Amino acid sequence: MTSSATTVSSLAENFFRHEYGRLVSSLSRRVGLAYMEQVEDSVQSALVKGLESWTLNGLPDNPAAWLYKVASNHLLERLRQNNNQQRILSGNTEDIFEFLIGRNSPSNPVQQKLSDEPDCDLLRLLFVCCNDDVPQESQLVFALKALCGFNVIEISKRIFSSEENVYKRYSRAKKILQKLPTESWDLSASEYHPRLPNVHKVIYLLFTEGYLSANGQHTIRLDLCLEAIRLATVLSDYTIGQYPETYALLALMHLHLARMTGRQSQSGGLLLLEEQDRSLWDKSLIAEGIRWIEMSATGDNFSRYHAEAGVAAEHCLASNYQDTRWQQIASCYEILEKKLPSAIHRLNRAIAVAEWKGPKAGLEILIEFEPPSWLLGSHLWFAVLADLHRRCGNFIKARGYYDHAIGLAPTNGVRQLIKRRFDSSF
Amino acid sequence: MKKYLCIMRSKPANNEKCEAPSPTDMEAMFAKFNAWKEEFKDNIIDMGGKLADGKVVTSEKVIDGPFAETNEIAGGFMIVAAEDIEKAVLVAQKSPGVYPGSSVEVREINQP
Repeated sequence: MTSSATTVSSLAENFFRHEYGRLVSSLSRRVGLAYMEQVEDSVQSALVKGLESWTLNGLPDNPAAWLYKVASNHLLERLRQNNNQQRILSGNTEDIFEFLIGRNSPSNPVQQKLSDEPDCDLLRLLFVCCNDDVPQESQLVFALKALCGFNVIEISKRIFSSEENVYKRYSRAKKILQKLPTESWDLSASEYHPRLPNVHKVIYLLFTEGYLSANGQHTIRLDLCLEAIRLATVLSDYTIGQYPETYALLALMHLHLARMTGRQSQSGGLLLLEEQDRSLWDKSLIAEGIRWIEMSATGDNFSRYHAEAGVAAEHCLASNYQDTRWQQIASCYEILEKKLPSAIHRLNRAIAVAEWKGPKAGLEILIEFEPPSWLLGSHLWFAVLADLHRRCGNFIKARGYYDHAIGLAPTNGVRQLIKRRFDSSF
Repeated sequence: MKKYLCIMRSKPANNEKCEAPSPTDMEAMFAKFNAWKEEFKDNIIDMGGKLADGKVVTSEKVIDGPFAETNEIAGGFMIVAAEDIEKAVLVAQKSPGVYPGSSVEVREINQP
């Protein structure tokens, strides 16, 4: 291959998107979230300039530093104009200019530190937005836009929500965060820790949005999973995030992602766990997941992430469906159910117990259970009941549940999956 | 090899809603551009650049230009080397900078 270094791109994958997040975090930290609009405009404009300049002249030595400089100059200009037009002399505006100019000079040690730790501000903004006052769905959209660099259209495609709705959620987060006093940016060490569960939750949601959605293209869903892993990895690089729960979260994401390639048939249909070709599972991701599990095995808190990573690890390490250690999986779900009572965990426990002790034992777990209304509107509940009754020989009951499940299947792919599962049973 | 001047023209910017490219879009554009530059690296001898506003000089006067009434404004240029006009046209045709609503004029630079 003959490639000349001057014309070929040598930017990391997703460079533009990730720089967007870094620049927004760094600049908004320096001028305050009150100027978020201006910050986003400046970052957008710097990226466009970068694109134009680099396609013509090739890449500069340090594209990230180039962008930072262009974006902060643009921002400075915007804020000055603002200042002149509106005559807002709120006292701290000059400080902001000083701040920006100071950070701009290449000899400044802070600038040095910035390029050494480009993700420090990113992480800080993540903690800032995981504020209890911000609704969780807005936290998620804020993270996707400001930190991951997706625009509103891209986010709406990824979380299956309308553009208008995404825009509303984002504005809501921004509005709340803009009202925070500038000092709230510099969370003290004691303020970081209480927000860690929120940060974990947002990362977890980001991952499950990608992993669990039955709709959407594989690559689009993969984006979300990879972003979640990226943020969690950054979190694990800093002391504020170095807790067993962070490692368990990383473990479960790696172990789920490892199996993502095996979940679909060549024609794009979904596959049952026992149908999947386990040789397609990504062994290096499994190994990394196991490494994170080992890291997470300290302290005395066995979190929901530990339990979920435990389930994922059992599946990854079993050589086939029959050899799966269902007892271990059942006990992980039992722990999950106690920690975080949810009908889904009970349902999953019933499935694991049915594999471990037989369908009757599985059914017993569900029989005295009153499912919440949302579960009664989902195909999952009926599909599991149909399966367990069928295996117990109660064909008439099974048939009734089966019809319900088929009627409630959210997508054609899921409907086909259920049909195949019950193929030739009735 | 002959030399060709490629003049990029586009309609004057209208104020129609034009979606700003997302960072993902920019990454895709950057990749396309680099692939194109790589494919024709022997042909593109001067990437030229964007043309800003300027003046129009005549023997009588100097006015602000380009003329506002012209349909298409020259917005950029580059210089391409090619055996013949067909090849030069191909370079221009494949450029990611050519999009619906824009055009490229490819003219041989006579070398006496």
